[in-house]
Amino acid sequence: MTEMYIPKNKIDDAVQEMMAQHKVFAPVLQGRFHDFAPLSSPEEVDWECRNTRLSPKGLFHRHSERMFDYSLSKDDPEAGILKESPKDFSPRVVLNIRPCDARALQLVDVNFDTPEYRDPWWVKRREATTLVGLACNDPCSTCFCGSVGTGPFDAAGVDVLLVDAGEGYVARACTDKGEGLLAEIASGEPVTAEIREKVEALKKQAETSMADLHLNLDLIAEKDMKELFNEEFWEDVHFSCINCGTCTFLCPTCWCFDIQDEVYEGKGMRLRNWDSCMYPLFTLHASGHNPRDQKLQRVRQRFMHKFKYYLDKYETATPACVGCGRCVQHCPVNIDIREVVRRMAASCVCPA
Amino acid sequence: MSEWEPKIVAFLCNWCSYGAADLAGVSRFQYPANIRVIRVPCSGRVNPKFILAAFRHGADGVWVSGCHPGDCHYIEGNYYARRKFALLKNLLEHVGIEPGRLHFSWISSAEATKFAETARQVVEAVQAQGPSQYFVKKEAEVA
Amino acid sequence: MREYTEKIREAARRLLSEKKVDAVIGFRKGTLPFMNEPCIVKHADQADRLYWDGNCGVNLANYLAKRADRVAVVAKGCDSRNIMVHVLENQISRDQVYILGAPCRGMLDRRRILAELGGKDPLRVEEQNGKIHIEGRDFGLTLNREEYLQENCALCTHRNPVEYDELVGELVEEQKDVDRYADVREVEALSADERKAYFQELIAPCIRCYACRNACPLCYCPTCFVDESRPQWVGKSLDPVDTMTFHFLRAYHCAGRCTDCGACERACPVGIKVRQFTKKLEKDVLELYGYEAGLDMNERPPLDTYRTGDPEDFIK
Repeated sequence: MTEMYIPKNKIDDAVQEMMAQHKVFAPVLQGRFHDFAPLSSPEEVDWECRNTRLSPKGLFHRHSERMFDYSLSKDDPEAGILKESPKDFSPRVVLNIRPCDARALQLVDVNFDTPEYRDPWWVKRREATTLVGLACNDPCSTCFCGSVGTGPFDAAGVDVLLVDAGEGYVARACTDKGEGLLAEIASGEPVTAEIREKVEALKKQAETSMADLHLNLDLIAEKDMKELFNEEFWEDVHFSCINCGTCTFLCPTCWCFDIQDEVYEGKGMRLRNWDSCMYPLFTLHASGHNPRDQKLQRVRQRFMHKFKYYLDKYETATPACVGCGRCVQHCPVNIDIREVVRRMAASCVCPA
Repeated sequence: MSEWEPKIVAFLCNWCSYGAADLAGVSRFQYPANIRVIRVPCSGRVNPKFILAAFRHGADGVWVSGCHPGDCHYIEGNYYARRKFALLKNLLEHVGIEPGRLHFSWISSAEATKFAETARQVVEAVQAQGPSQYFVKKEAEVA
Repeated sequence: MREYTEKIREAARRLLSEKKVDAVIGFRKGTLPFMNEPCIVKHADQADRLYWDGNCGVNLANYLAKRADRVAVVAKGCDSRNIMVHVLENQISRDQVYILGAPCRGMLDRRRILAELGGKDPLRVEEQNGKIHIEGRDFGLTLNREEYLQENCALCTHRNPVEYDELVGELVEEQKDVDRYADVREVEALSADERKAYFQELIAPCIRCYACRNACPLCYCPTCFVDESRPQWVGKSLDPVDTMTFHFLRAYHCAGRCTDCGACERACPVGIKVRQFTKKLEKDVLELYGYEAGLDMNERPPLDTYRTGDPEDFIK
């Protein structure tokens, strides 16, 4: 697979070359935080960004998605017929996505891209997008990707992996799509053996610098689901949760949504908005029954879904969590997923 | 702009202000036809959600009218309303709605002239502001 | 304020073993610098979990509405006022709550402090004598506590609990000559168009996560107005009109009840200054009706009562 070295003083040219054929999204500083935004010039990219606040899942599974339009006007011969809203699926590049977030997109594929159902918006955007990952030389203290089956230099979900080797970036194509993108870049130089060694060293350093949580995920996979469901520690874990939904909105693997029609003066549209299992009304049935109207049930369901049901149902090797740490950093009441999973994996229930 | 006629939603309390409107009609008083009346049992029934919903659905102005303090059919409904509306008007204007769009009045069922006069004032004030553009939802701004 | 920890633990142990309460609600030390987690302790031997320091900004009154048991709560000034509001609104009865009053010198604004670190991770934090000492892997920084308080704490005039059954620390001096509404007046001075632009920009990053609503102790409605569907008052998408409607109505629902505890701003993941809505209402309620929320058990909340001479110059 193609490899090239792009010195830092040429990286803006390389990004400009990408912009010639694609719409490029990259982390841009907005106020105190970074978020993925479409670039109008390569200088907007903040290469020092550790990670964005909102995950890049919003680029594929839009926060509010207009699905269909229709008319309810009596004079319209096409009244009542749902028409797909026009979208822009032109080629895009998501630049500097972290390996955890890219891996998260693969975990969400399991839901939106199945043999039976393919969500047209998700699938078309995934196909139109080339992911250029940026390996993490310096994982945050809240990161734990290495403990959930991925890692700071994991190329599993990306088409091209960039590594910051000090004076420049090493770009390695990981898929055919990645090859295609690197072919458009003229500013690349060959990779020397010295640089290759440096990359290896950086990888080792990043992997060891991250605290290993010693999470024995096999224990969770093997434990009987009902037993884990009825454990006593959930009483202790759930209390502080305020059901605010921040964790689900920031999480790169959460995808729950709510579909609603909005009609104004004879014109209607069907919208899909992000929803959160943390809200009390999330599981309200039309009959009025609500199987998860207690906070404990909802809090338990979140962790069980990510670390148990997902493993059981999809027989994936990894849980539906990539260790990005956003929920840890932003939960207003400091519910720490690392602590909760540790308790799930512990074979005895130990009081804190 | 000369084509545009303001649409004003008026919440009138059944016992006083609605009676005044009725009396104005029976007495053949002339006042602008831009008012669309919603009859409520008492001005205290009017919830700020209604006023925002009116703006949302395209009302250029909203007018709420009830009995004079002390004369409420339900004794004290309009006293509570008075406090609600003071805070609501202040906050709405604070977030940038033009002052001429939201009006309140006390009109008793005998005050047909006052009703017609107030209607004229309200329509004039809203006309001066132009079509409402704040809190109006034509369709969800979602691409 | 860390000295309170011992007193809180001792009180918890005592109250639980004497069965005066069924549970004690307080904080336990967080897993991250500048964060602590609210926790509930139901046995005297768990009392040592409780902890207190300058990062206990979450309003614990949020966990009290509609509880059926007797609880002791560690309450700062703002928390105690919210407990009073809960009692006034019949969400809990006064004799169900044993208030452990915690006089407060202000809580730290975690996000503003993290912004000073330029993306670096804080690993150890020590607070001493009005200074915050932060250490990371390859840096150290000392900040003045007074400059990094939560915005509402910097303007607080009710640091001492207004109602308590027991104190876990010495009463502190209330701040004097605090201009609580300088920022509101600045906005009031703008023209209508400028104000509209100001507020639209303020809420532009909103992702409708409702963290502000859920962190607020006053928002305890079983069905929030955003979830009402017949009729639907506000849409669920990111449409700007809907977002403005949500923030406006939510603030309005807190009129005369909000104690400016700052839980909403603290919880917002995108850092919106939602208090700009509620502070205007707080100012109006004070100026028009002379009322401050949660201070007097014998006064009804302002929208639940009236005086015959209430201002009505805006009514024709």
